[in-house]
Amino acid sequence: MVSNEDEIIRKRQRERARIMGLLLGGFVILLFFITVAKIGINW
Amino acid sequence: MPATLMTNAAALPADWRDLLALTKPRVMSLVVFSGLAGMLAAPQLPPLALGFTAILCIALGAGGCGALNQWYEADIDAKMRRTAKRPLPAGRMERQTALHFGVGLSVFSVVLMGLATNWLAAALLAASILFYVLVYTVWLKPRTAQNIVIGGAAGAFPPLIGWVAATGRIEALPVILFAIIFLWTPPHFWALSLFVRSDYAAAGIPMLPVVAGVRSTRRQIFLYSLPMAAAAVVPWLLRLTGPIYGVSAAIFSLVFVVLAGRVLVNRATDPNGMGFEKHLFAYSVFYLFALFTALVADRWIAW
Repeated sequence: MVSNEDEIIRKRQRERARIMGLLLGGFVILLFFITVAKIGINW
Repeated sequence: MPATLMTNAAALPADWRDLLALTKPRVMSLVVFSGLAGMLAAPQLPPLALGFTAILCIALGAGGCGALNQWYEADIDAKMRRTAKRPLPAGRMERQTALHFGVGLSVFSVVLMGLATNWLAAALLAASILFYVLVYTVWLKPRTAQNIVIGGAAGAFPPLIGWVAATGRIEALPVILFAIIFLWTPPHFWALSLFVRSDYAAAGIPMLPVVAGVRSTRRQIFLYSLPMAAAAVVPWLLRLTGPIYGVSAAIFSLVFVVLAGRVLVNRATDPNGMGFEKHLFAYSVFYLFALFTALVADRWIAW
C-alpha cells in the first residue's frame, strides 16, 4: 500500500517538476522578448 | 513517508490537473477574450510581446481569483452538486495549497503586468482581483441577494485592463465596455441561479431566486437586460465605433431582450421546465463573445 502511494507521490512530483521546468523556460523566453520590446519602445 | 499521512488524497502532493482546475479555465476563457478584445479595440497596439504578456497577466489574475474563490468557498462548494467535485470539496488537495497558489498567481500577474506594460493597468488588475476576492466572495456573496449586481464589476474589468495596457489611458469606450459587462452579469447569473437555485438554497447562499423568489428574479432579469441592451449600442451612438459594431450590437441585444422576455413569461418553477432560462444563459455567453468580436471587427475592418 505504502509503496503504491510512494509511487503516486513520485509520479506527481515528476509531473509537477516537468511542468514547472517548462513554465520557467517559457518565462525566461518571455522576459527576453519583453526586454527586446521595451528597448525597441525606448529607442 | 509514513502510511498514517496517507489516509486521504489531500495529503498527497496536488495533481497539476487539480491546480489547473482551481483557475476555472472556462471562466478564464471569457475573461481572456474580453481583455483581448479591449486591447484590440484600442487605437494603438503594444508590441506583440507586451500585448501577449498583458493578456497572460489578465489570465493569471483571473486564475488567481478562481483559486482564492475556491479556497474561501470550499465548505459551500461541498454542499452544491455543481461544485462538489472541485478539488477542495472532493478532498483531492490541501486547502492551504489553493491559498498559496491563488495568492502567488495574483501577485505574480500584477507585478508582471506593471513591469511589462504600465502600472495603471497593473493597478486596475490588482483592483479587480481584490474586488472579486474581498468585496464579492468574502463580503457580498454570503450576505446579500445583490451580490452579483455589485460583484459583477469584478468581471467587467478585463476589457478596461486590456485597453489601458495598450494605451496607458482610461477613455470613454473601455468605460462603456465595463458598463456593458457590469449590466450583463446579473441577467447572466440569475438565469443560471434560477435552474440551480436548490443548490444555492442548500448552501445558504442568498441568491435572488432563493431570497426573492422565481417570479421576482425573472422580472429582474428582464429589467436588467434593457439597460444592458442600451449600453451595448451607446458606443455606436457616441460615434466611438462604426456601423459594423452598432448594427451587430443592436441585433444581438434585441435577441437577448426577446430571450429575457420569454423568461419573464415562463411560469415553471421546476428546473425541468426552465428551458427558456437555459437558453438565455447559453445565449448570454455567446452574446458577450459576439459583441466583442463585432467590436474588434469594426475597429479593424472599418477604420
